Amino acid sequence: MENIIEVQHLSYRYQDTDERPALDDISFTVKAGEWLALVGHNGSGKSTLARAVDGLLPFSEGTVTVGGIKLTPDTVWQVREKIGMIFQNPDNQFVGATVEDDVAFGLENRQISRAEMVPRVKAALDEVGMQAFAQREPGALSGGQKQRVALAGIVAIAPDILILDEATSMLDPQGRRDMLALVQHLREEKHLTVISITHDIDEAASADRILVIDDGKLVEEAKPAEIFAQGERLVHLGLDVPFTAKLKQALQDRGITVPAGYQTTTEMEEWLWQSLSNT
Amino acid sequence: MAITFEHVGYTYQAGTPMATPALSDVSFTVPDHGYLAIIGHTGSGKSTLIQQINALLKPTTGKISVDDFTITPQTTNADLKPLRRHVGMVFQFPESQLFEETIQRDIAFGPQNFGVSEDEANQRALNMLETVGLDESFADRSPFELSGGQMRRVAIAGVLAMQPKILVLDEPTAGLDPQGRLEMMTLFNRLHQEQGLTIILVTHQMEDVAAYADEVAVMQAGKLLTCATPQEVFNDSDWVQSSDIAVPRAAKFAQRLSDRGVKWDQLPLTADQLADQLVQRWPGMGAHHE
Repeated sequence: MENIIEVQHLSYRYQDTDERPALDDISFTVKAGEWLALVGHNGSGKSTLARAVDGLLPFSEGTVTVGGIKLTPDTVWQVREKIGMIFQNPDNQFVGATVEDDVAFGLENRQISRAEMVPRVKAALDEVGMQAFAQREPGALSGGQKQRVALAGIVAIAPDILILDEATSMLDPQGRRDMLALVQHLREEKHLTVISITHDIDEAASADRILVIDDGKLVEEAKPAEIFAQGERLVHLGLDVPFTAKLKQALQDRGITVPAGYQTTTEMEEWLWQSLSNT
Repeated sequence: MAITFEHVGYTYQAGTPMATPALSDVSFTVPDHGYLAIIGHTGSGKSTLIQQINALLKPTTGKISVDDFTITPQTTNADLKPLRRHVGMVFQFPESQLFEETIQRDIAFGPQNFGVSEDEANQRALNMLETVGLDESFADRSPFELSGGQMRRVAIAGVLAMQPKILVLDEPTAGLDPQGRLEMMTLFNRLHQEQGLTIILVTHQMEDVAAYADEVAVMQAGKLLTCATPQEVFNDSDWVQSSDIAVPRAAKFAQRLSDRGVKWDQLPLTADQLADQLVQRWPGMGAHHE
């Protein structure tokens, strides 16, 4: 697989006088079609990093290449064509008076003709299950519905890359699960590359690979199971401790020897059941 | 301060063609120094319910008692000021309500509004900064330079500075990272334990319900389905399933083991409770070993 994103030695300071850079010599690549999770505690620099990739930050050192195009002030619009971003608070990203106007906004910006726009908006709303709400006012929707509309806006412009910046953090548990399932579905159908910035353990578990950012530095890069094996330390990385890790810690504290490494709930259930039956 | 709801109903825009019932026949009691969690899906009436506690919304039918205060549909706003001083409301994303030039002035605003002198309000602001885990160096800074988590602490300090007896929290940890969530929930628990504040917590986090609440109220479509201890509520797995409510991860996991024949003394709700019961059943370790 080709690399759709290449970041080399990226550094950024919000102000030239800042002692500590917000991003400090970060390098990584993302393969086309990959789901990458960016984790780190609040203020670690993960959102800053996503913004740099989308050309929203005038970074001082390093290079960002997206789909073979090196990000410069001249190419920033070409790069942004390839990326759709969804932010934490859906209320901050609505511009249209109705749901369909809002979905059409990105197409209008790209000077798509009305004849083409109308079916694309309809198809995008169908894709996220929001066609029935086309004429509604975005402000009156629930949080989960708002994020679906935001996703429809992205489906309409058909980018190669979707960046979710804590896009599920304001949703209730059901809304979060629905949103993740929808992203997973769109990713397969549209061959999207997904970068999700998250504190949610289930969202991070959906990823092929996790990058851990701390103090503007890339401190770890591994598969979810390897990251989750760190147990209590995960809280410092800005993630929840998975339930199985909490339970293992609690058993260990009570003198029970537990298997090393991360276990899924199914593996943990199997191991416990075997152990309990083993009399 | 104890809270009692008696057959409380609330209808938005009552008496108009737009009338929308949001609460019907809700009755429950929270004892003084109690900790009640309120759960339910988006739109089930949780937020409407908590706004009755300081009479931001007054019931359309029924009666609410908060300590010696009584709120009925006839209660006038003039009667409510003393009540409102005792009920601290922390709404969702309270940081969006910050407005002052300095953090100290923002925190001191509430108490001054209720007649506390400027000097005392400023002193309280400094104390509250410490309570929420920010040091005095923050006092003169602008609240708008802070991170989201810090801004939320300042907003909560502003509510605490009014020295409420009841703290009503509407999803206070939404949008925070896990470390921030834990610190925030620990803070509320400390206020509950050390200062005896009555806490009403609206939440989607069943782990928090299991860890902190004495009782949990389950709302659905404007009705109170049940109000009982977390143990009682989560224990009835058929009811839990038919009512479409989430359960703590430990309870869900324990349920999977009981489907395979493991018997629990009572359903574990936290990893620690589960581990305690597993140890008792562990070959070669437990009291139950046969």
